[in-house]
Amino acid sequence: MTTTSLQAPPSGRPDGLLRARPDGWGTAVTVALAWLILIAASSLHSSDFFSHQTVLAVTFTMAITGVLAVGESLVALSGGILDLSLPTALVLPAYLTTVLLDHHVPTAAVVLLALLVGALWGALNATIIVFGKLNPIIVTLATNFAGLAALFLIFQAAQTPQASGIRQFGKGYFLGLPNIWWPMVVLIVVVGLLIPRTRYGRRMTAVGGNAGAAKARGISLPRTRYAVFIASGVCGGLAGLIFAASNASFTPNEGAAFLLPVLAAVILAGISLQGGRGNLLLLLLSVGFLSTVPTSLVFFGLNSDWQIVFQGLILIIAVSIDGHRQRSARA
Amino acid sequence: MTQTSVRGASTPTHGRPASGHDPLRERLGRLLTGAVGTIAMTLAAVIVLGTILAGQEFLSTSNIAIVGSFVAVPIIVGTFAGFSLLSGVVDLSIGSMVGFSAAAYASLTQAGWGGWSAAAVTLLLCLGFGVLNAVAIVTFNADPIAATLGMLTALRGLCRVLTGGSGAITAFNDQFYEFTNKSFGPLPLLFFISLVVAVLATVVVTKTRLGRHIRAVGGEERAAQRAGMSVARIRYGALMLSAVGAGIGGILYIGQLGGASNTTGMGLEFQVYAALMIGGYSILRGGVGNPSGGVMGLLVVAGVSNLIDLTGVNTYFTNLIVGALLLAAVFLDRLRGGDAYE
Repeated sequence: MTTTSLQAPPSGRPDGLLRARPDGWGTAVTVALAWLILIAASSLHSSDFFSHQTVLAVTFTMAITGVLAVGESLVALSGGILDLSLPTALVLPAYLTTVLLDHHVPTAAVVLLALLVGALWGALNATIIVFGKLNPIIVTLATNFAGLAALFLIFQAAQTPQASGIRQFGKGYFLGLPNIWWPMVVLIVVVGLLIPRTRYGRRMTAVGGNAGAAKARGISLPRTRYAVFIASGVCGGLAGLIFAASNASFTPNEGAAFLLPVLAAVILAGISLQGGRGNLLLLLLSVGFLSTVPTSLVFFGLNSDWQIVFQGLILIIAVSIDGHRQRSARA
Repeated sequence: MTQTSVRGASTPTHGRPASGHDPLRERLGRLLTGAVGTIAMTLAAVIVLGTILAGQEFLSTSNIAIVGSFVAVPIIVGTFAGFSLLSGVVDLSIGSMVGFSAAAYASLTQAGWGGWSAAAVTLLLCLGFGVLNAVAIVTFNADPIAATLGMLTALRGLCRVLTGGSGAITAFNDQFYEFTNKSFGPLPLLFFISLVVAVLATVVVTKTRLGRHIRAVGGEERAAQRAGMSVARIRYGALMLSAVGAGIGGILYIGQLGGASNTTGMGLEFQVYAALMIGGYSILRGGVGNPSGGVMGLLVVAGVSNLIDLTGVNTYFTNLIVGALLLAAVFLDRLRGGDAYE
């Protein structure tokens, strides 16, 4: 997980489809520096910041954001631009989880069904995108808007049964860190390592780099779109499980709070919206940095309304950096 | 073409299907999928559906007046936002810009400012945020949807900061209330004003050199550049117009509603863009559509949500339908010649 993997994806690609640029290190160092500066500034402002409490708050925030960021990264990497339907992809399985737990369905079945409903949501997006030949960013914008409305028609608030195994897992700790933090780390590391090293991962990246050339080489674009959007939905399912495990009760609205940090994390990790380039392992840094922001703001005395302001501004800055990088790469 | 990644990432269709061998069928097809055909059909469908589901009440004068006052502000906001669509960029931040503007105006008047000076300061602030959008999108080449999504969130945050713990600010003013709720014949005066704004904007878009330039920048960016137009300057202007339009909308809401809340304007961007797309604009490519079509599209959306109010169905159905309408409109846009995504 150190030097080799943080560097640019291995050279000697099978073909010239990808514009390999060794910018992985630069991005990693920049994000790590930003994170360190944030921690230093917060600690200087308030000595209480540097505590186990803060670590717990940050790792709690990281869990859901990180899982969703993996799905979003796959979409971006494959040239699917963005999946803006993450809030629905998160809340739908979370709600299903609470309903199934109420009916005393075994935990293993709950987990499988939550992941399945996430996959179905992704498949729905992919179907509209592939058969309508429509731009994913607009499609997911619309399906999320309609999906949240549908969720509100179904429920106003949901409670996770306190006695359930899933809720107990969500309250537990392992090695001093929240249980829910660990699946996120494993997911990022496994997916991050597999993408440059497997044929599927390389094909997916090739589609993002140059869809026309990938198609000419016999890679099925519709199948790739289905694969990434279903993968994104499954990540939503996992995030939904974690969300239900770590929240005693929630409303359909609460999924929306994750969208911006996820988008910002993906872009800050250097995973370009133009597709074909990026290293998922960097998500560990960008998600960590962005998850520290809310806690820091609290120490600076700013309430949750200000946190939303900062989330928005960070996203604007991140996409500006991405856009600027794109233009420099072309020039 | 690569200015907006939305278009850059998609594969352009290579020309229209071969024309000539079946002109009648093709003309019919274009009539049905063309902007005019779509608007006429959907508007007719809404009216027929409305009278079937809600009976005579739907077409009663009082109900039409309700729709008129409901749709007036969205028409103004949509007309201004249409300029950014025409120039080839999307400004999603308008919904929260309306909310921020309402909250800022209400805060200022509560602090003792006069109506006009409060409005001037509010619009200047909105203009500033429009410039910020433009800096990100035009100067730094940021993806318009992602960047303005960030602004949408940031401004909602500011709106909530301003409305504070209670979540609302009252700013009732007799004169302003009277003006925004005044009738002119059977319909609200504000509705006629919004129509005048839309007609003026239509003239600018279709008849003036400026309008031609805006459409050229949105439709054929490189050709426009070669012809000596400043793509950057026009997009800056369009994004600033869109911000100011939303600012005006927010202030007018204060007149209509007598105050701002932390949800003012929430989701308005959806209704407006779904409506504009139905009316012949395109989110994914610039240069198409005009404000008159946009007004028709907004009437369709207003009709649908009015119908849902009248029939007493849960209002979340409106969002469900608006989402579906947006998808349908994007699909139609592709049939009209928009880029296909593979």
